[in-house]
Amino acid sequence: MDNKRKYVIPGDLVTTGPFRPEQNVILEGNKIISTTIGISEIYDDSVKVIPLTGKYLPKIDDLVIGKVISHTSLSWELDINSCYVGFLPAQDVFGRDFSAHADELTSKLKVGDLVAARIANFDRTRDPLVTISDRDLGKIDSGALVKISPSKVPRLIGKRGTMIQTIEMATNAAITIGQNGWVVVSCESPEGLLKAKKAIQMVNEKAHVANLTDQVKEMLESKGES
Amino acid sequence: MASHTVIDELKRTQILELLEQGKRVDGRALDEPREITIETNAIPKANGSARVHIGDTEVICGVKIQPDRPFPDTGDKGLFICTAELLPLSHPTVETGPPQPHVIELARVVDRGIRESHMIDVSQLVIKKDKSVIGVFADNVVVDYDGNLFDACSYAATAALLTSKTPKWDWVDDKPTLVEGEDSQLPISTIPVSVTMGKIGNHIVVDPNGDEWDIMDARVTITTDSDGNICALQKGGFDGFTQDEIIQCGETSVRVGAKIREKLKAVQQGGQ
Repeated sequence: MDNKRKYVIPGDLVTTGPFRPEQNVILEGNKIISTTIGISEIYDDSVKVIPLTGKYLPKIDDLVIGKVISHTSLSWELDINSCYVGFLPAQDVFGRDFSAHADELTSKLKVGDLVAARIANFDRTRDPLVTISDRDLGKIDSGALVKISPSKVPRLIGKRGTMIQTIEMATNAAITIGQNGWVVVSCESPEGLLKAKKAIQMVNEKAHVANLTDQVKEMLESKGES
Repeated sequence: MASHTVIDELKRTQILELLEQGKRVDGRALDEPREITIETNAIPKANGSARVHIGDTEVICGVKIQPDRPFPDTGDKGLFICTAELLPLSHPTVETGPPQPHVIELARVVDRGIRESHMIDVSQLVIKKDKSVIGVFADNVVVDYDGNLFDACSYAATAALLTSKTPKWDWVDDKPTLVEGEDSQLPISTIPVSVTMGKIGNHIVVDPNGDEWDIMDARVTITTDSDGNICALQKGGFDGFTQDEIIQCGETSVRVGAKIREKLKAVQQGGQ
């Protein structure tokens, strides 16, 4: 069986046989056909296609970076770089004794604020429910927002976090990666910030290249000397 | 479109902090426009066309030249009409449907800049007085949005007009008749250049990019002609400009416009 990764386009036959179709493939008879442009991967009993590009689809427990775009008297709406709008209920921030009369939502979060949030619930029929009541979640007060393609997020993290560790170590930056492709970089030194941003953009542009970690390392070190 | 985007607070703070130090978010000087590239003849079948990039903003302009009925009060002048349209693919907030007020404003500002500079000598575009004149239609299509559509559309329309070829029509049997093989340049008398400036806090920046556009308090678009005369001006936004600021903007538009005019001149010479 051909286990090698290959590039596929929609309609391409990925493989045939008794496999379980996972992401971005459909099963027709015993043929497994890709539904997107990406790299196909065949495992022992399943097949999937990792898309080269695409919008973010929320998954429960994903960490995302959201931007407050609006609010009602009971909840905020977050732009989470998806076709869905993140729904953040006021109770989540004010606690159980939240009162729509007494509490003003803008006192905690206002339009334009960035938050690190987690997808609490999502079933594709309603907008995803997000929460910020956890450690390391909540409003982001400093740093710079970098936007990359959500499909490149796994590459930015790297195998067991190697890529992101490389960047963080070389620049002394703290990087928060949202699964939705939004990344917040904060760093004490402006040079480190610039370098980290550049490295993230590099990963975004060259996600398909092999040995990318080495290339990123090289870039980070060469810049450090100049 | 731009009015519906919400810019994140971090970006806003960053832009404001940098401006306090006299710097801009993309490293430009306050009076420095982004890189402008102008490609003419982007649409081979049009009478004239141009594709203009200002940074990541991209506009395509097509010029159509055809006989038309003159307006009743200006039977001795040809027509010039400039329009603008935003494609839904240009920005996530753009929708199809009738044009939004800011798109109508865009078309009018671009039209006025070219019209009031008297770039095209419309009195030479008459086939038969009061009966038939030549109409020049410049249609701008925004393909990609990253701020400052006024200048992008203006340069696209100007570049397209500079390189347009107009066919010749004669008045035969009470109707305009095309004379084959007698194409000529449009009667061009000057090259208008618009320069848009945004006011963010107390700072005035030339050619605001998409992020700066979203947070600016006021803007002014000033069009100058080849002699350095101001021939059109449009102010927008909720804040105002002081008298000194307006004078400064006027001077900036002449100075910056002169450099951009050189690019348009090169386009004109390349097209002839």
